[in-house]
Amino acid sequence: MSEKKENTSTEEVNKKKVSAPASSIKVIAREIFKDKVALTAFIVIIAILLFTFGGSLFLNAEKVTETNIIDAYYGWGTNGHLLGTDDGGRDIVKLLIMGGRNSILIGMGVTAICEVVGLVVGLVSGYYGGYIDAIIMRIVDFIQVLPVMPIEIVLVTVIPHYSPLSLVWIISMFGWTGTARYFRAFILSQRGRDYVLASKTSGSSDFKIMFREVLPNITSMIIIDVVIAIASNIGVETTLSFIDYGLPSSVPSLGTLIGFANDPVNVVSRPWLWLPATVMLLAISLSINYVGRALQRAGDARQREN
Amino acid sequence: MAKEIIQVKDLKVHYPIRSGFWNRITDYVRAVDGVNITINEGETYGLIGESGSGKSTTGKAIVGVEPVTSGEIIYHDVDITKSKNRRKLNYNKDVQMIFQDSMSSLNPRKRIEDIIAEPIRNFENLTTDQERDRVQELLDIVGMPSDSIYKYPHEFSGGQRQRIGVARAVATNPRLIVADEPTSALDLSVQAQVLNFMKHIQQQYNIAYLFISHDLGVVKHMSENLAIMHRGRLVEIGSREDIYNHPMHIYTKRLLSAIPVVDVEHRAENKKHREEVEQEFQNDQSKWYDQEGRVFPLQQVSGKHWVALPKDELEREELKEEGRN
Amino acid sequence: MWKTVLRRVLIMIPQVIILSILIFFLAKMMPGDPFSGQINPNTDPKQLEALKRAAGLYDPIPVQYGRWVGNLFKGDLGTSYIQHVPVTSLIADRAVNTFWLALLTTTISYGISIPLGITAGRHQDEWQDQAVQIFNYVTFAVPPFVFYILGIWLFGFTLGWFPISGSVSPNASGFWGTLGSQIYHIILPACLVALITTTSIVQYLRTGIVDNKVEDYVRTAHSKGVPENVVFRKHILRNSLLPIASSFGTTITGLLSGSMIVESVFSYPGMGKLFLDSIGQRDYTTLTALILIFGILTLLGNLLSDIIMSIVDPRIRIK
Repeated sequence: MSEKKENTSTEEVNKKKVSAPASSIKVIAREIFKDKVALTAFIVIIAILLFTFGGSLFLNAEKVTETNIIDAYYGWGTNGHLLGTDDGGRDIVKLLIMGGRNSILIGMGVTAICEVVGLVVGLVSGYYGGYIDAIIMRIVDFIQVLPVMPIEIVLVTVIPHYSPLSLVWIISMFGWTGTARYFRAFILSQRGRDYVLASKTSGSSDFKIMFREVLPNITSMIIIDVVIAIASNIGVETTLSFIDYGLPSSVPSLGTLIGFANDPVNVVSRPWLWLPATVMLLAISLSINYVGRALQRAGDARQREN
Repeated sequence: MAKEIIQVKDLKVHYPIRSGFWNRITDYVRAVDGVNITINEGETYGLIGESGSGKSTTGKAIVGVEPVTSGEIIYHDVDITKSKNRRKLNYNKDVQMIFQDSMSSLNPRKRIEDIIAEPIRNFENLTTDQERDRVQELLDIVGMPSDSIYKYPHEFSGGQRQRIGVARAVATNPRLIVADEPTSALDLSVQAQVLNFMKHIQQQYNIAYLFISHDLGVVKHMSENLAIMHRGRLVEIGSREDIYNHPMHIYTKRLLSAIPVVDVEHRAENKKHREEVEQEFQNDQSKWYDQEGRVFPLQQVSGKHWVALPKDELEREELKEEGRN
Repeated sequence: MWKTVLRRVLIMIPQVIILSILIFFLAKMMPGDPFSGQINPNTDPKQLEALKRAAGLYDPIPVQYGRWVGNLFKGDLGTSYIQHVPVTSLIADRAVNTFWLALLTTTISYGISIPLGITAGRHQDEWQDQAVQIFNYVTFAVPPFVFYILGIWLFGFTLGWFPISGSVSPNASGFWGTLGSQIYHIILPACLVALITTTSIVQYLRTGIVDNKVEDYVRTAHSKGVPENVVFRKHILRNSLLPIASSFGTTITGLLSGSMIVESVFSYPGMGKLFLDSIGQRDYTTLTALILIFGILTLLGNLLSDIIMSIVDPRIRIK
């Protein structure tokens, strides 16, 4: 009896000494902190998030977008408006805060939908193969050859009860195919591996195998993909808003702010309208992408170790 | 009289080849092309063949991870080539597999405890404590230290990983274990260890093995009955005595002559014999294989000894054998 | 090889058909019809209905679709609601402009990216490689329209080096004068777009070279005493150019989609701008025709990629 007790205590000790293949999060954190530039980028991202999301907590959406023509077109630092006002007399700083938050939110929303859909579709298609795979791949192929931007623009115009959520769905509709392809390729490479067969003989169902056995091997890739996807989806939304076919005009977005630069008069004589938003978008895009790349390098290094 | 536990009847696994403009099926890769095997309780049945002979595919079909084109595998009076039958019987509780490559057959991200416990969790209803005890018991049986349960596969050597694979296979007290080249990836010294464990377990728990290998030397140590496979078909089956002492098919003879023999004095003779056998094999292909290069159906020669010969050849061979004896 | 091409073309046919059905329904979803732009508000609604019926607007959907497709084959893309001219001529004018822009962009793009990719691959991990990597990272991360805005602000407005709108100066005269003016107008947008498109090409090329450098066949060539330059040109480069050849087609179609943004920023009268104008003016015939054309061009682009791939890669050809 006492022997068993002894065993358990040595087990406890050994548990602490044992080294798991380093968990994804630890590796990620290590990589970010090692690279000074990546660390800067990371800090920039946090700063922007605090500015936009934090700032939005103090703002009332309706008041921010309320037009007040009298105050239109103030320049830098006039009348208490740090960055001036736009054609409707709205304060640029506040628009920047809300717009930034909206653009980032939409980017995240679209990415979330695309990753989940792409993941499920890719896994199912890759794992089951056969007819299911063939049909799904035909659909994916077809969507990928569509001229996406023109169709998105048309949809934005014709969808009834248009709202930011509609925009998220519209963009997501075309965005999941890339991730689906990516995950399918991964599954195909893992499918014949012995440990998958072994799990099958151990009685695990296909479903369990897919999610509990194969998926954990790809978590680091998922994280990297998500990070970069967020940046590019923010880009998609801002591009659409830039040409006035993105968020409805009552909802601020970085794209609409930058859109002021479509008017040559604004470009030359009213840079405060579009320059701050441009700078912010640049900061967001560059930082997120840099962090994503740093993660990718970390992931590659680990792959080589394995 | 040993009890039959599993019967493989005319098993065929064909892979279609698509070519041409319309991607039509033009031909088949006949990986397994009409195999019949009967395995008895507690015995070791050896399945020998070279790479590509179809032996691994046969093993996988028996375990239920390879879809079967035609034929039956009868277990408990039910054809388990159909997945619903397998599910009904909880087939894999009784029929398990040991894989050749121990590194790739263990999920690198799972701890040993979870790896060995997986079949237990799927087929049996134990409490966490009972489960842990069982895992410890299994590790004990294969001679692994008990602190292994918290470790990961990459922390062990090849031989140790293979033993973990054995522990996993034995977890649910199976009746039959398909061992697919379990020692091929191991050093010679380690091979003996693993084989001894397998034998020990077999004796203790009355487990039957389908021992798949390309190495006739290893198989001799383990099996009572053997089958030689070539190009998807069986060329010769029989008891250990039949195959090693009275080989009849030219392919069997070729395999046997290829076993390295450490006999310095008879080196020249052995070499001559090997060359003769090889010559006969190359020249008499048409005699031993049909027009399409396929192996003939098996004919019974005696008791458990069957050889793939056309009938008339059989008589001529028998006379030759008797003459030699 | 022709078998592969033929099969690809045959696969394209159902794709085009489904595309046209999709677009047709998209068009139907848009409010408005041929008469919305022309109606005198005082027209009697009953008369209006009769006109509509005569124009076939109340026919069953499949019939309308069939009629539309039939017209397409005749080269009739419909009449613009707004401008009252055949859509075909509208598009034709603009298509030429977009075509030239795409051509120049592609030329500059490949012209820049191939040397860059080669440099990065050859001098892996040295400063040239680092510089190219940074360039790549920036052009990938920044959304294209930001580039265009900054580019036009810097080179167009602030420095005044290039014109900021249109495809040709209204004052240009004579053949060379006009040509010169046209080129002058295209350069800035072409350069900016080219910068964006270099990213994937450079990346592929660099990766291809880096991967091929360590392949056994390269080592064999070295050990045979083949000089470095020759090894690079004949072995490494040839294999690395493969993925680029196939991306040629998709680059072109990418340019088409992106043309909308460029042409909008530069007020360049091309197909993309026509599309945006049509949407703004609710000119649905033009719109539908344009989407159809964009779709078909994308399919053709992919087809081109596959054909080039099969020509260049002997492995695929022999199969």
